[in-house]
Amino acid sequence: MNIIIASALLGVVLMLSGVFLNHAKGKRTLAIFASIILMVVAVVDVMQNTNNTILHFNGLMATNSFTAKLNAVIAFCSMLYIFLFSNEISKVGLNDAEYFALIFFALTGVFILTSYQNMFMLFLGIEILSIPQYILAGSDKRNVKSNEASLKYFLMGAFSTGFLLMGITLIYGATGTFDVSKMALMGSGEPSTIALLGILFLIVALGFKASAAPFHVWTPDVYDGSPTAFTPFMASIAKVAIFAAFIHLFHASFAGLAGRWHIIIIAIIVLTLLIGNVTAVYQQSVKRMLAYSSIAQAGFLLFAVYSLNEISQKGILLYGASYMLATMSIFAVLIKMKDYTFDGFNGLAKKQPVLAFAAAIALFSLAGIPLTGGFFGKYYMLNGAMQNGMPIWVLIFAVLMAAISVYYYFKVIQAMYFKTSIQDATEPDAVIDVPFKVMLIINTALLILLGIYPTIVTIF
Amino acid sequence: MSQYIYLVPLFPLIGFLIAGLGRNVLGKTLLGWIPSMAVLASFVVSLLIFRDVQHMDPEHASVVVQIYNFFHVGNFSVNFSFQVDQLSTLFLLIITGIGFLIHVYSIGYMSHDEGFGKYFAYLNLFVFNMLLLVLGSNYIIMFIGWEGVGLCSYLLIGFWYKKKEYCNAAKKAFIMNRIGDLGFLIAVFLIISRFGTTEFSEVFRSQAGIVANGPFILAVTLCLFIGATGKSAQLPLFTWLPDAMAGPTPVSALIHAATMVTAGVYMIVRSNILFTIAPVTQHIILMVGLATALIAATIATRQNDIKKVLAYSTVSQLGFMFMAIGVGAYTAAVFHVITHAFFKALLFLGSGSVIHGMSGEQDIRMMGGLKDKMKTTYYTFLIGCIAIAGIPPLSGFFSKDEIMMHLFTNGAYGKVFWALGMIAAFMTAFYMFRLLFITFFGKFRGTHEQEHHVHESPALMTMPLIVLAILSIGGGLIGVPEVFGLGEHWLKEWLEPILLKSELAHIYINELSHRGELLLMAIAVIIAFLGIILAWSVYKNYDAKKQNKGIAKFLEDKWLFDEAYDNAIVKPTFAAANVLKTNVEEQVIDGAVNGVGKLLHAASNRLRYLQSGMVGFYLFIMVAGIIALAILLFFIH
Amino acid sequence: MIFLDIAVNSKPMDWFPILLQLGIAVAFAAVMIGATQLLGPKRKTSDKLVNFESGIENVGNARQPMAIKYFLVAILFVLFDVEVIFFYPYAVNFRSLGWDGFLEVLLFITLFLVGFVYIIKKGALQWEE
Repeated sequence: MNIIIASALLGVVLMLSGVFLNHAKGKRTLAIFASIILMVVAVVDVMQNTNNTILHFNGLMATNSFTAKLNAVIAFCSMLYIFLFSNEISKVGLNDAEYFALIFFALTGVFILTSYQNMFMLFLGIEILSIPQYILAGSDKRNVKSNEASLKYFLMGAFSTGFLLMGITLIYGATGTFDVSKMALMGSGEPSTIALLGILFLIVALGFKASAAPFHVWTPDVYDGSPTAFTPFMASIAKVAIFAAFIHLFHASFAGLAGRWHIIIIAIIVLTLLIGNVTAVYQQSVKRMLAYSSIAQAGFLLFAVYSLNEISQKGILLYGASYMLATMSIFAVLIKMKDYTFDGFNGLAKKQPVLAFAAAIALFSLAGIPLTGGFFGKYYMLNGAMQNGMPIWVLIFAVLMAAISVYYYFKVIQAMYFKTSIQDATEPDAVIDVPFKVMLIINTALLILLGIYPTIVTIF
Repeated sequence: MSQYIYLVPLFPLIGFLIAGLGRNVLGKTLLGWIPSMAVLASFVVSLLIFRDVQHMDPEHASVVVQIYNFFHVGNFSVNFSFQVDQLSTLFLLIITGIGFLIHVYSIGYMSHDEGFGKYFAYLNLFVFNMLLLVLGSNYIIMFIGWEGVGLCSYLLIGFWYKKKEYCNAAKKAFIMNRIGDLGFLIAVFLIISRFGTTEFSEVFRSQAGIVANGPFILAVTLCLFIGATGKSAQLPLFTWLPDAMAGPTPVSALIHAATMVTAGVYMIVRSNILFTIAPVTQHIILMVGLATALIAATIATRQNDIKKVLAYSTVSQLGFMFMAIGVGAYTAAVFHVITHAFFKALLFLGSGSVIHGMSGEQDIRMMGGLKDKMKTTYYTFLIGCIAIAGIPPLSGFFSKDEIMMHLFTNGAYGKVFWALGMIAAFMTAFYMFRLLFITFFGKFRGTHEQEHHVHESPALMTMPLIVLAILSIGGGLIGVPEVFGLGEHWLKEWLEPILLKSELAHIYINELSHRGELLLMAIAVIIAFLGIILAWSVYKNYDAKKQNKGIAKFLEDKWLFDEAYDNAIVKPTFAAANVLKTNVEEQVIDGAVNGVGKLLHAASNRLRYLQSGMVGFYLFIMVAGIIALAILLFFIH
Repeated sequence: MIFLDIAVNSKPMDWFPILLQLGIAVAFAAVMIGATQLLGPKRKTSDKLVNFESGIENVGNARQPMAIKYFLVAILFVLFDVEVIFFYPYAVNFRSLGWDGFLEVLLFITLFLVGFVYIIKKGALQWEE
């Protein structure tokens, strides 16, 4: 619970640093320091938490060891994110301190979403997470694409918020409560149309935020248009938080009605995997390809919403951790590139072996190749769904789609290792110093560690 | 002490990381000694653990140390855990002990090579994987190590990758091993499907319900054996091993003589309980082992490359080990693994010393008279030759004799197998001493320049030779047969807890009397001496210019195995591939695959247009999607 | 309590007067608009199509770019204005909330002030550069 307060206060401190500190370096150092504090707080939370669920703020929030672990994983990834990208974040525009502040405010939303107990808090969490992202998407003010991304994200986000509120309202109408744990009772008897419609609207709203098809349409434009320094945050940390909220709500409240809404989730999974993977094939820009790939990855994360069992709970931790790390790695490399097309990666392995290696491992993980975390993430997801009786054709379809993903991920690896280029692939003024490389190696090592010791995320 | 078992593979792993990451940064001294010390540290820990196991009650000495839970899904769980028992600790000592000697030797041997750091990184990675292979307490971990050593072997065979043929040799080894690995993998899947676990202790405990010689157990054991034939270079997958000599000589000594190639033997001995209830598989193993031993020995008699002779000798000796397995004499197999590790490592390192002294020359026709110029190498090589020929009291005699004894007493045809085994043993003595005489006796036949340059190797290289020579002399003491009245057969006692069930199941048809046993030994020794004398009479004045003809030529050409494989498998495959390519592939498969690809691209291209960039259109898609989902929810349900 | 009673014990019939009221209102407006259209005399002049500017002549088009500062000041005004509203319930419950309430409001004001300091320092309220 402390972590919510800590992230909000650190956000305020960082915001003030914008007016009291003059050097960009000082602000960066402060942000890095703040991310370390956040990590420490998360670890303290993990140590304090027992398996019992504890309620806070008159039952608005609830924490247990699972939420504490998830928070710690997210805090850790946030720390890595700040470490890897702080240089690039400063370069986006003039208001560098504000960018860091907004990231911490968004993290407040993230931590609310991992441990809310009341649909008020769900709504607040989603908005606290989303609004800073709207701003961050448009932070490169002089860039038309960035402005476009911000506006589109905002307009469509507002649209989906409408559905979220409507869904909450309908559910309230059907159950008479906002408390997610008390709604679990409504499983008995034939559900009312109001309740079903409410669930549908909640799936729509959360599916939108999680970029599940057919509500994914904003994703490519926003991820592609946003400054590259912020895309990994949106695509990894924010998305995992949304999934945590999604799964928590459906696990605590609607598990009893699973028979009714499973069909919708299956339809969304199939559509998401299909559109994400198939459209990614044709992309020319690696950044845009990654945007589609994040849709495809969301398809895999949705399996956890279907299964809602112990395996999928482990799976979401593992998949989430490996997905966040891999996204961070590949974007950390991408951001140093001069040219975001596939050809831009030509010959990177010769010039920057560390970067190429990190990118390769990240792509292996995203594709789900064994000995990286992504493999076990996918394995747990599919296994959890299978245990819960998902039709076998969906699983086969998912594996086929994962096979397609290998094609477009490996195009990057092929460019890096098997093609040559006369000029440097990286941006001439990109900062590729030793600390950056060390962080990248740590990130890569963690991805491999998750591949050979996957149970580590569940035991700590 | 057993709980520190993780240290044993950890040290080489750290050594690998240091040498691998620092290969361009650290100096040669550090790059050579850090990995060597890592292996030495592992050896010390292994020694302590070995002593610990020795002092424990043999029944309870087997400990499974769980490092962590690898993964756990539903009710199938795989642990990353190590098994410490009599068998694995024995192998630990061989791997780390000989591994250390070879590391030290390599510092001298590779001192002029530019890939020095890379070499040591690979070598340590190999040791790590090999340790994983023997330590794993289930088939999954064993398989990881199994694949790991295959990879390292590939990397090290093709170490001098600038030569095309070396790369081809590496590829050949990799592919041949892959065929075997497939067998292993299928066996593991079969085991999982039947037992729901891959943990050795559980699998072996639950084998009771299986019908002996039933289809399941035959399939499992045969698949495991196919895995072993690949890794341990048995017929028909042995041809990669001679080619593997393309790698640096210490690699041949470590990987392709002492450790990796015996992995197949280890795996079968580890699973001995499964093999004991599959006598049909055992017969097949016996036949394959015998055929391999004979064929490889005949080829070895006519090879002119010093390393090739040793390579075929290794294949032949591995054949002996499989013969032992085939008759259920697992102790004898392990015994021969150990002694063979000593003397074959010695011989390889000795040949490496010769090659080093001759500045890279490997053709024995260009050598001769080296015994005065390279004294230490000569004497240690001589000891190796005596050991492998089976002259008492050197180590090879005891282990080979034990195998022969078991062959003799095995079933009705035991005597026939014994006789064939003796022929192989005779040839062993012959080809080894042929090698010795041609290389070290007579006149120097190389160029003038080489003659001038020939020198004894530095102490870094001769010290390991001396240590291995001592081991080759005394190594047999761990298994002196009871007939000599020196007490119990130590190795047999030691492995008793592991092999107990198999030993009980095995029935010896005709038990030998002590006199009969001594008689057999005497025959074996006489035959070995005959081989040596024949070699002396033929090769004391070797004429390099004489061309081989007839059978000799056939043997020199390695029974034309490579050509036969080329003609029987590779060429027909290519021919068939060509036919398939022009007819089936280009039209049907290409059509289908490209069709899928094109379809994908076309679909991708179509779907791309959904992303028009218009917010209004996006919202339309969303709303349409919501309506569709609502219909799905309310009406199709 | 009264509101609660209505909410809990109301039957659909109880809402009928409201529906009736709504119907009458809509009908009245519709009838009035319709009647003026039908009954009133129609004289069309160009002056009538011009925007009503309280009798002053129009000057140019209103859709012109405006300084962002107008919006900034306006939005800040709204922000602080809304936050001040929170003081009303506090003032009403001042005595019953006691020191705890006072500290909480103090915290609220502090955060509030931090924001204020921030916008001042940022120069958001500075009209001229």
